[in-house]
Amino acid sequence: MTLAPGELKACCAGAYASPAARFLLGDSFHPGGATLTSRLVRALQVGASATVVDVGSGPGTSAIQLASETSCSVVGVELSAESVDAASRAAAAAGFLGRVRFIVGDAEALPLEDDSMDGALCECALCTFPDKRTAARELARVLRPGARLALSDVTANAGRLPPELIGLQAWVACIADARPLEEIAALLEEAGLAVESIERHDQVLRELLDRVGARLQLASIARSFGEGVQRGRELAASARAAVADGMLGYGVVVAAKR
Amino acid sequence: MAVAGKTQRKVDRDEVFLEYTKSICPVCKRVLDAEVNVRDNRVFLRKRCPEHGRFEALVYSDAELYMAQQRYNKPGTLPLEFQTEVKDGCPLDCGLCPEHKQHACLAIVEVNSGCNLDCPICFADSGHQPDGFSLTYEQVELMLDRFVAAEGEPEVVQFSGGEPTIHPQILDFVALAQAKGIRSVMLNTNGIRIARDRRFARALGRLRPHVYLQFDGFALETHLTLRGKDLRRDKQCALDACAEHGLTVTLVAAVEKGVNEHEVGAIVRFAVAHPAVRSVAFQPVTHSGRHVEFEPLERLTNADVMKLVAAQVPEWFQLADFVPVPCCFPSCRSMSYAFVDGDSVVPFTRLIEIDDYLDYLSNRVIPDPDVRQALERMFSSSATPGAERALLACESCGIDLPAHLDDLEEKVFMIIVQDFQDAYTLNVRQLMKCCVAEITPDGRLIPFCAYNSVGYREQVRAQLSGVDVAPVVPNAAPLQALLQPTRYGSKTAANGART
Repeated sequence: MTLAPGELKACCAGAYASPAARFLLGDSFHPGGATLTSRLVRALQVGASATVVDVGSGPGTSAIQLASETSCSVVGVELSAESVDAASRAAAAAGFLGRVRFIVGDAEALPLEDDSMDGALCECALCTFPDKRTAARELARVLRPGARLALSDVTANAGRLPPELIGLQAWVACIADARPLEEIAALLEEAGLAVESIERHDQVLRELLDRVGARLQLASIARSFGEGVQRGRELAASARAAVADGMLGYGVVVAAKR
Repeated sequence: MAVAGKTQRKVDRDEVFLEYTKSICPVCKRVLDAEVNVRDNRVFLRKRCPEHGRFEALVYSDAELYMAQQRYNKPGTLPLEFQTEVKDGCPLDCGLCPEHKQHACLAIVEVNSGCNLDCPICFADSGHQPDGFSLTYEQVELMLDRFVAAEGEPEVVQFSGGEPTIHPQILDFVALAQAKGIRSVMLNTNGIRIARDRRFARALGRLRPHVYLQFDGFALETHLTLRGKDLRRDKQCALDACAEHGLTVTLVAAVEKGVNEHEVGAIVRFAVAHPAVRSVAFQPVTHSGRHVEFEPLERLTNADVMKLVAAQVPEWFQLADFVPVPCCFPSCRSMSYAFVDGDSVVPFTRLIEIDDYLDYLSNRVIPDPDVRQALERMFSSSATPGAERALLACESCGIDLPAHLDDLEEKVFMIIVQDFQDAYTLNVRQLMKCCVAEITPDGRLIPFCAYNSVGYREQVRAQLSGVDVAPVVPNAAPLQALLQPTRYGSKTAANGART
């Protein structure tokens, strides 16, 4: 990897704001879609008076879902200003103006007060943060004691991934720097969170890769997005094989601040 | 109470009671209470006539799927006007009466009762008959006007029969419907005239109705059993004529148990490859009008047909690629769309999580209302080729491929699976939301399955032809002792229906 961590973060955030990412991933930018998000939302155990942070909020879909399912207030933090604008527009259009807001910010230096949040959501984002230890500490810092973090992420058996899955494209696709589920849990424990549950959801990653594969196939039928399509199809196929071999997966960790 | 020396034990019923509804007696057509039950993961409708006894029929062969589909139930839309009043209750007030839950997405005009075939199966009981009817231009105009009055901008009208292409004014009717602003005009035909009359095919090519071509399979046996004739050459000629004259085609396959179930996959492959064909509609044979004897507990249902497609074309379609259609009752019709380019086939369901948009019972925020609307247009009884355009052009769905739309349209392929109800399977709950209507010459819009099961067809035919028409009774195995043939080849009750 030749990019500096700062460049990497910007590259990831930028890639997810691109039309190609919207095309490939649709509204829900993470495996499991709205159904898995609902599961994370329930795990937070928050009510209408709570304020919850969504770290790596992307197009804002989950933040809006969180607000509508719990009536809580949500702050979405996202590195891409373009995504923050789009998410703000989506929240206004869905009638959540005021209750759901989005700010530009870095997960490794959250622009939020200590102990200020009643919950934190982090979906398929930790894998794209170069300094995971700092990001975990930041999540712990902004939560008030007893408040929960519900996190989902791509998991990988590091060192056993084929070479094509650790390049820049794979980094953007959450794969290159993904960690084993146990390592994610250990990171959170180390940051001051007590892990309450760990669940494997490899099936949702399989489904997402199938969807990305189908959309790439359509792009090639429509002759859209040029030559990157073929490379993308190879990458998706390779990722599917890695899931089948148990080297790549998806997981959920719920933890409470001590 | 315990019998001496033996403890009596309570026993569970062998079925899950699911719904209480209304139906009709298949023999005398009187309205009956009915129940829907699940046994062995299959859904059955049961009713009892005080005079003719107990009747039970299979309505869906996969209970789990049947239940999952209930979420795809879109709130109905009120038509601009109703044609009848509520008097005796469903299904006797058709229609549409103000209790009906949905407007008509698609309306059928049967222009005649005569046909150039005498198929062993024909829900319209048509054929080479001396005592039929043939509508006049004035009658057709009145019918279309009433449809326009009810709908404002009607979506689809389908000319049917009989065989509509042998009506001397069929081209005028098509042009008239187009002039009335009806968005899509379909011609439901066996294709014989298109195959054999080059001038007619050319004239159709100028009007460009969508051709809804009866096409049941490739085996001689299939043709002989369902149509009484080998029509394979005619079908091929008709399709080639359609391609030559720029007509788009839906292949319509009536699928009957033990006859052409094995041909479902071959029909899909053929359809994908033929330049004129944009879609296939599979319909388990409707046991109304004339049909071969069947066993109501073992009939073919939508679930069977979808599974046949998945089993026979596994590299392209899976069961999960079929979406229940929300405008009608979701278990009545399922559809699948796919993008096709040579051997590359991408079902639409693989591209977008349709559940997120078409689940009408979930409390969840719809990710995007524009996407829902576009999907509703695609997965609808009025969907015709091109319905996917709204979605592809919809920026917010993320598919957003407007620049390539024109290229893609010819690559979209659609499969429709539709089970029509007969007098055995009729469930008023489904009927009340039916969005396919028969227009009668007095301007009523009668839900299709009511028209064919309750007795409306016989009444309208008697009125139009001036000849008495016997009430048709399904040619079901358990009813054989009661049945005798009608003049048109269907069956009626031997001692007169109602005593």
